[in-house]
Amino acid sequence: MSTSSLPRAPHHDVAPSDETALTSAKPESNDLVLEVKDFSVDYGWGERAVRAVRNVDLDVHRSQVLGIAGESGSGKSTLVYAVTRLLRSPAVITGGDARLFLEADKDIGSDARTLDLLGASERELRSIRWSQVSIVLQSALNALNPVLRISAEFDEVLRTHRRDMNRHQRRARAVELLELVGLNEDRLARFPHELSGGQRQRIMIALALALDPQLVIMDEPTTALDVVTQREIIGELRDLRARFGFAMIFITHDLALLVEIADEIAVMYAGTIVERAPAASLHDAPRHPYTLGLLNSSPPLHGEHRELVGIPGSPPDLAQSLVGCSFRARCPYALERCAREAPPLVGIEDGGRMVACWLHDGSPTNLPEPLRRKASPTARDDLAPRAAKEVRS
Amino acid sequence: MRMLLRRLSLYLVTAWVAITANFILPRLMPGNPVETLIGQLQGRVTPQQVRAIQLAFGMGLKQNLVQQYFGYLGQLMHGNLGVSITLSAPVSSILRSAVPWTVGLIGVSTILSFLVGTLAGTMLGWTRGSRFDSLIPLTTFFQAVPYFFLGTVVLLIFGSNLHWFPVLGAYSSNLNPGWSWAFVFSLIRYGELPVITIVLSSVAGWMLGMRNMMITMVAEDFVLMAVAKGLPRRKVIMHAARNAVLPSVANLSLAIGLVVSGALLVELVFNYPGVGNLLLQAVLNEDYPLIQGIFLVITMTVLAANLLADVMYFILDPRTRTEAAI
Repeated sequence: MSTSSLPRAPHHDVAPSDETALTSAKPESNDLVLEVKDFSVDYGWGERAVRAVRNVDLDVHRSQVLGIAGESGSGKSTLVYAVTRLLRSPAVITGGDARLFLEADKDIGSDARTLDLLGASERELRSIRWSQVSIVLQSALNALNPVLRISAEFDEVLRTHRRDMNRHQRRARAVELLELVGLNEDRLARFPHELSGGQRQRIMIALALALDPQLVIMDEPTTALDVVTQREIIGELRDLRARFGFAMIFITHDLALLVEIADEIAVMYAGTIVERAPAASLHDAPRHPYTLGLLNSSPPLHGEHRELVGIPGSPPDLAQSLVGCSFRARCPYALERCAREAPPLVGIEDGGRMVACWLHDGSPTNLPEPLRRKASPTARDDLAPRAAKEVRS
Repeated sequence: MRMLLRRLSLYLVTAWVAITANFILPRLMPGNPVETLIGQLQGRVTPQQVRAIQLAFGMGLKQNLVQQYFGYLGQLMHGNLGVSITLSAPVSSILRSAVPWTVGLIGVSTILSFLVGTLAGTMLGWTRGSRFDSLIPLTTFFQAVPYFFLGTVVLLIFGSNLHWFPVLGAYSSNLNPGWSWAFVFSLIRYGELPVITIVLSSVAGWMLGMRNMMITMVAEDFVLMAVAKGLPRRKVIMHAARNAVLPSVANLSLAIGLVVSGALLVELVFNYPGVGNLLLQAVLNEDYPLIQGIFLVITMTVLAANLLADVMYFILDPRTRTEAAI
């Protein structure tokens, strides 16, 4: 499967791959934080290797919230963990390219530079970990070391990356960070098991922001929480993003939730991106049958209730070599062509959105009615303030 | 803290039960234990020995059971455990000369074995599947070989034949025990072979336990977080090891409880002057006061070790502290 027809960003050849991983270059004429090209990840080797991520392109702009949605096993977490080099054996990155574009950082006195994540040494990776790219995991109870006080978690991060801070400064910073997420400083003396799920997740968020990173990865940060806490945390995240301007990759299977926070959403299925579009357009007017199915299977956050419909069948076995479209067996609109050729991810509607589906090959007569809906231009403006207000009240 | 006090009172009750059992058991035997003992001595008994036997089981035969019991408790409070029949010396002073040897030898070996095993287990767990895994069958082999066989073979080869290590006893017979450099040096030289064999035969347990816990911990999210935080590898391993070591620490405390009693084979093979040897002699000679005294000391050490395990867990794992808070 190839996505070569994807329009390439103009900066792609600025940092040739034969240069060293750390390239002190002038700030480039783009606002990208992360750029991933033709990225593939396998679990295991040889014949039985599971092709968990296949030829994915992805880019994240500064201060952008990119949502990645998909069901379990769609490769959304694998993709992000592989890009940040956090995956362990037997996961193998079998191809592609991932670059991190770092702004000059006054705090640590570094220049703007480009880091080739796949070529970077252990030391280079350590230097950007948490200080530039931090991560919030699904279960904060498991992500916080059970035998350490909360203060130790903050202290450790600051001591590792901000060598010049003394004990009092580190403490003050921890208190400041807790205030950001609405927690009292007395939480610092607690152990993880003494806190509620919402408090733990807020602490994880505060911890992720400790070093002012340029990119924060949220791996289903609200999945383990109740709906009310979920909404509160989403609201807080949105405020924090507006205030500090970090970019975010937000991974979840909850498409309705994603619409609340993401600027843009990429939908993954069976290890590939099948659709990518601005959040509101994707929500109001899905173009891929799988996106449509996902939307129909989750309750809407706003508006009247409607009947929920699941997607029949189950995802394909990624250990088998796939011919044609991976969604075809579950797709109500599958064409004869879908069995032979895998559809590439191509720009449609003036390139504003991308979809990998043969239904969008240019002849609108093919298009089933649900995939033809128009996105209301004000959808996003309409949605955002209302959600924010609800969170505050 | 409240929880710790509650545990402490529980241990006091347990100790009292153990002491009482130690008092009652000989009295539950058919016949009069004192007369049985005197009978076994077949008339070759001095008034001193009769008195010793009486002391061992209470103050005298003319008291009732309750009086005897409180007499026995009173004697215990003063550290008086009666007089050994075969050695004609107070049990407490016999124990006082035997216990330090055993505690020294087995204590050092146990702690050394724990440290080596835990450290090796940490590395094995972290680098699972590497060539270092071949350490596992090797150490398990030494644990599987019966100790007296391993000890004897090692003693024969490295002691008697190669003369790399001194054999028999705890120190050179030319020296008098005391805090001189020569004596301490001799103590260490004579202790080397027993310590090495004990560590060799017990290290696999610590190593495997720690390795398996590490493998579980390495898969935990907080270890992934430690990597994501950009911590140096040493600190990442510490995150995992700090949690993985908890069961081992509890086991160590319990192993320390067996330090006083668990040395019979070692002491026999290396002819080491400790509690194990003493107990064997006492049992062979049916020296009831001595047996009773040794059992009491063993019971108390095991209890103390259990308490230590509780305290250690309390300190190391905050999750065990919240009982009262919930």
